[in-house]
Amino acid sequence: MGLEEESYLIVDIDSRTTKAILVERTAGGYRLGGVSETMTTMEAPVLDVAVGVKTALAELEGSAGKKILDGDKPSAAHRFTASSSTGGGLHMVVGGVMSLISGESAQRAALGAGALLMDQFSKDDRRPHFEKIARLRSLKPDIMLMAGGTDGGAVAQVLEMAELVNTADVKPRFGEEYQLPFIYAGNVEIRDEVKKVLGEEHYATRMVENVRPVISKENLGPAREGIYDAYMEHVIVHSPGYDELIRWTEEPLLPTQAAVGKLLYAYAEARAVNLIGVDVGGETTDVYSVFNGIFNRSLNADIGITYGIMNIVKETGLGNVTRWLPPEMDEQDVRNMVGNMMLHEHETLSPEQMIVQAAVAREAVRLGLEKHKDIASRLKGSLIGRSISDMFDQALEKTIINLFKTHVVVGKGRVFRDQSALESAMILVDSLEPMGVTEIMVDRSSIMPHLGNLLGVNHDAALQILVEESLTGLATCVAPMGKTREGEEAVTVQMTVDGSEMVESVKVGNIRFVPLGVDEVAEATFTPHRRLDLGAGRGKQVKKQIQGGEVGLLLDARRRPLNRFRKTPEAPT
Amino acid sequence: MQSLQLFEDTVVRKERRIPTEGEVLVKLGDKVEPGTVVARGVVKNPDIRELRIYASLGVSPDMVKNYMLKTTGDDVNKDEVIAIYRSFFGRSTKVARSPIDGRIESFSPVTGRAIVRGHPIQMMVKAHLPGEVVDVIDGEGAVVETKAAVLQGAFGLGGEAIGELVFAVDSADMPLTSEEIKAEHRGKVVVGGSVVTVDALRAAAKNGVSAVIVGGVDQKDLTEFLGYEIGVGVTGGEDFGFTLIITEGFGVNPMDETRFSLLEMHEGRLACVDGTTQIRSRIQRPEVVVPL
Repeated sequence: MGLEEESYLIVDIDSRTTKAILVERTAGGYRLGGVSETMTTMEAPVLDVAVGVKTALAELEGSAGKKILDGDKPSAAHRFTASSSTGGGLHMVVGGVMSLISGESAQRAALGAGALLMDQFSKDDRRPHFEKIARLRSLKPDIMLMAGGTDGGAVAQVLEMAELVNTADVKPRFGEEYQLPFIYAGNVEIRDEVKKVLGEEHYATRMVENVRPVISKENLGPAREGIYDAYMEHVIVHSPGYDELIRWTEEPLLPTQAAVGKLLYAYAEARAVNLIGVDVGGETTDVYSVFNGIFNRSLNADIGITYGIMNIVKETGLGNVTRWLPPEMDEQDVRNMVGNMMLHEHETLSPEQMIVQAAVAREAVRLGLEKHKDIASRLKGSLIGRSISDMFDQALEKTIINLFKTHVVVGKGRVFRDQSALESAMILVDSLEPMGVTEIMVDRSSIMPHLGNLLGVNHDAALQILVEESLTGLATCVAPMGKTREGEEAVTVQMTVDGSEMVESVKVGNIRFVPLGVDEVAEATFTPHRRLDLGAGRGKQVKKQIQGGEVGLLLDARRRPLNRFRKTPEAPT
Repeated sequence: MQSLQLFEDTVVRKERRIPTEGEVLVKLGDKVEPGTVVARGVVKNPDIRELRIYASLGVSPDMVKNYMLKTTGDDVNKDEVIAIYRSFFGRSTKVARSPIDGRIESFSPVTGRAIVRGHPIQMMVKAHLPGEVVDVIDGEGAVVETKAAVLQGAFGLGGEAIGELVFAVDSADMPLTSEEIKAEHRGKVVVGGSVVTVDALRAAAKNGVSAVIVGGVDQKDLTEFLGYEIGVGVTGGEDFGFTLIITEGFGVNPMDETRFSLLEMHEGRLACVDGTTQIRSRIQRPEVVVPL
């Protein structure tokens, strides 16, 4: 294939929508040649996911003005790849010997691979043996992952966990007659014993490298790859129509969330930044992070802005939602509106619904971040070297997430398409409360899973399309850390934009917007109050080239943490 | 907004099956009534208790076997003594009792522990609709078919219920208050208008109403009535005495005229309702079926 003919067809299939894109090589790099969308056809009466894919490709042929289909399959002129989250995504159960050590690493590997975690088992789990067996039998995951023991370490406890799995005879979610894919990512020296305990009848066992080869090191990559392979070979093939899709491509078919995670990781690595990505869906909220090259993903099930909207209010308390609403909005109306937003999916939202959606989205992201901090934690079980200077610092944080060192925030999901640029930026700033200098972006194109897939076949094309077609810069948020008196000047910024100079400032407790267009770049010098810190130390100036956005520069001198409503504990039911 | 289904005259097929292997009591072509038992079976009781008998007796685990009064397979009653240890010539007695009615599922002479499981639970499924058996699912149940008027609601609570369709209001925009719920509504499916008040919900429970169908309910009133806040839209297992079907949504919502008229047309007939709701990818809405 000549370079001028190089093109890619990428499809992402979720429970409702099948979306196809065409990426083409041009003289200046790569471009998005077309996008099409249709209903997913996995459910009755069609029961064949390939039908929806062909429809999407036929529509793409019309919109892109290119030959996409060759009879009943994609034309060989394009390289075809796909991702999927049908059936609610990849459901997994993980196990380990110690819940906070191997169990937690297995959990991170599964979540990082895009899974929805159904439960976690471990040797130190307080549930009685029989209860673990009963629970395992009731779960029916797509894949099971078990870790435990460092290499050359624990033996008896690992085998005991394997025995538990064997006794439980865990069945796969789809097709009880199939073997359940079981991935072992524990002590490599006892693989044969583990295999022997599990037998060959019930499980399709796969051995990968240990997720904790030594106590102080985590190695999640091989386990994630093992999950992708098992997903491709054992899970996806049982869903109607996927066998045809697999014949069209040489690339692995990824879970949608895994594709998004891979893309965000690649983007953060390419820019050498720390990044937090939030995906606020209808039923779930995913949070992705890349800190100092370490990738993590967490998932809050039943926390979303359609199906999960009432649950957000239940989890956070109505007061935490109403703090983002105009005081004239009646509490009773808000409660009913939230309930109706769960019951009926609206094509368009009324102005009041938009306000409520934005408020609830802030809480969805905040709850998502809270959970994410637990997942993205320091490795437990290993000693941490602390110097004398550490004694004067705050206690070492359990999480690796540091909002003072977050350079980029990316918002994804319907809420960021429904809401204005300003509201979208405020949703992210109010919920994540970043400090220092942070770029705020959103994905309005919904093609991140596609680009995550493209990454595997053309890294440069994926990142170029991501920057040019997918990510929209909203604002650069500048928020100082520390405390000083209300009303004092918190930050002063001196900026040069297109040769002209401007000086702006913000007082403690306030927030200010300074226009700076999407294509504008400013050389800025930020001077914080002598008690406040923007990353260089208290009162120290920070010089930075900042990119504009749809909102511009956002000077946020509100005190952290922002006022929060404390939910009164619910009466036991 | 997706529309909720409404059929004036359609053929309804309902799968009626038990969640275990059991006995099917109907055969193809049988005429059934709502109360006809279609299938029955027995499932294991999920209530399992692990007893650390050695701790209750204050002896080492391997000694417990010497003091057991019951063994694996024995039926036990709640508080029945299953092991006894006497010391100091009978002056000190320690016992281990069963915390539930059930059977000793296992006893380990090595660990000194026993597992007691509650008695098996009898399961059965009724036809719920009058109609004809058009398919039999071996060992599990059958499919019942009937001609009916059907309407879906937006949200429901409580499971299946049946009763005579009666109206407590004159129009679709009238609220259903406690004054409209009367003693004669016992066992009936009561239709309201725009909203049901919290007092009306309490009155419905008190008067033994079978089901309430109404346009809306205030979310706060519902929380007050249930005693907890609804989070995810997966319902059906609630047990507050009747089934509630909300046809439009939360708040004051006059019932859609077409729905109200359809129900009005069938006043006095049998209504078979199900409040089970699942607002998710595979949506399940509550349903009112009026066999014709």
